[in-house]
Amino acid sequence: MQFLQNNSYRIYFIERFGIPEHVLNTYTFWERGRKVWAFSGELWDINGVEVFGIKALTKGRDLKPSTAFLRIVGKYAKKNVIFLDDNNTLAFLRGRELNIDYPADGGYVVVRRKDDVLGCGFYVKKEKRLISLIPSKYRLQETWV
Amino acid sequence: MEEEKLKYFEKYREIIRDFDNFLETLKTPQPYWFRVNTLKIQEEKLIERLETKGFRVERFRGLNAYRILEMPVKHPGATVEYSLGYYYIQDLSSMAPVLALDPQPGERILDMAAAPGSKSTMIAELMNNSGTIVANDISVDRIKSLAANIERLGITNIIVTKKDARNANFDGKFDKILLDAPCSGEGTFRKNPWGFQGADEKGHSILGRQQKMMLRNAVRHLSEDGIIVYSTCTYSPIENESVVKYGVENLNLKVLKIELSIPHLEGVKEWDGEKYEMYEKCIRIYPHLVDTGGMFIAVLAKQ
Ligand SMILES: C[S@@+](CC[C@H](N)C(=O)[O-])C[C@H]1O[C@@H](n2cnc3c(N)ncnc32)[C@H](O)[C@@H]1O
Repeated sequence: MQFLQNNSYRIYFIERFGIPEHVLNTYTFWERGRKVWAFSGELWDINGVEVFGIKALTKGRDLKPSTAFLRIVGKYAKKNVIFLDDNNTLAFLRGRELNIDYPADGGYVVVRRKDDVLGCGFYVKKEKRLISLIPSKYRLQETWV
Repeated sequence: MEEEKLKYFEKYREIIRDFDNFLETLKTPQPYWFRVNTLKIQEEKLIERLETKGFRVERFRGLNAYRILEMPVKHPGATVEYSLGYYYIQDLSSMAPVLALDPQPGERILDMAAAPGSKSTMIAELMNNSGTIVANDISVDRIKSLAANIERLGITNIIVTKKDARNANFDGKFDKILLDAPCSGEGTFRKNPWGFQGADEKGHSILGRQQKMMLRNAVRHLSEDGIIVYSTCTYSPIENESVVKYGVENLNLKVLKIELSIPHLEGVKEWDGEKYEMYEKCIRIYPHLVDTGGMFIAVLAKQ
């Protein structure tokens, strides 16, 4: 399957998280199937590509940002960012759900602790629940901050 | 059993300087080294965080590379900082081929045997995620680790391909090519003495032939004033100097002399009746120099 360039995905990060356009302009965006990849290299025709930069989004009913890409650009986000304290950070990294009341819109959020961008969460506004969307490979059961 | 395993290395007594010291070092476990991923965090900040957690580390002069002297965890990867991609466990010797490659922002670089990506991700770091790296490997499983490392470290200028480095077409010419060739892995003995296999004479020569094919294919993809860094983590001259000699005699390559801040010795002058004229320009890193693994490096360019 081919990767097709579609830079309109930049708009998602600009609108949802207020990430400055110039940050997103360092990347070109590429679709293949349900995945969208972000790439900061220069381009030329190359065959047999397995991985193209980093996975940025998954397409479904809505667009779901990846933890890996948010860990790169999430520090520039100006809205829909939730900061956690140390206890909640550990719970979030374990993949637990948190009950918190936070001034963020419902939907996908950038989750942080101080300078660290922990990854992607889903905030259910009505129920004040934050669901951890950290992929299992990045979850940590036994750790401390 | 260990003594038994060490006998394997007797074949190199004549070519490894300070051989008894070399053997003694092989008996000791290799320390962990790591590289700070400066794409994601400032070096001082990470070190402060790790020290607060109970790590004791020692910086290697002039590099964002640290030796772990003490740690509060069994495996150095069991921290939040690791999971966030702030550092990468990598032996100092494995950083040397990348320093020899000296990647610059904006360049086009081919890493022909790249998984699990220690060197590719370091190249990306030095290029500040600009320019383009084609990171190739033949093994599906190892490509999975490569992809995981790229993702964890936040590398965005790498294209991964799964091709046979012996004859594949990589579509175009490259400014720099790293051929960190599959080898008999003698330099990794200290990491896993129990699982160490090594190779017999026949094994070395099969590997040597394969490495020569890969070098030939590298030349095909090299831009006119580009360089190839040939490296292995093994000691056998058949997989090292002999491959370089083949490049000089059959592929119109010359060996460049380079400066390297990591302590090293020169190449082997003669082995099994074969003479290596360019031995002084080859680089060998041994475990007994700065408590690392072993590595061979040669920097090649078109004549
Ligand atoms: C020494 S390791 C590379 C280590 C890597 N450069 C790093 O720094 O993380 C050699 C690699 O060569 C790959 N390999 C073996 N035969 C190959 C071939 N014919 N073409 C491409 N890669 C090959 C192996 O799968 C292995 O990952």
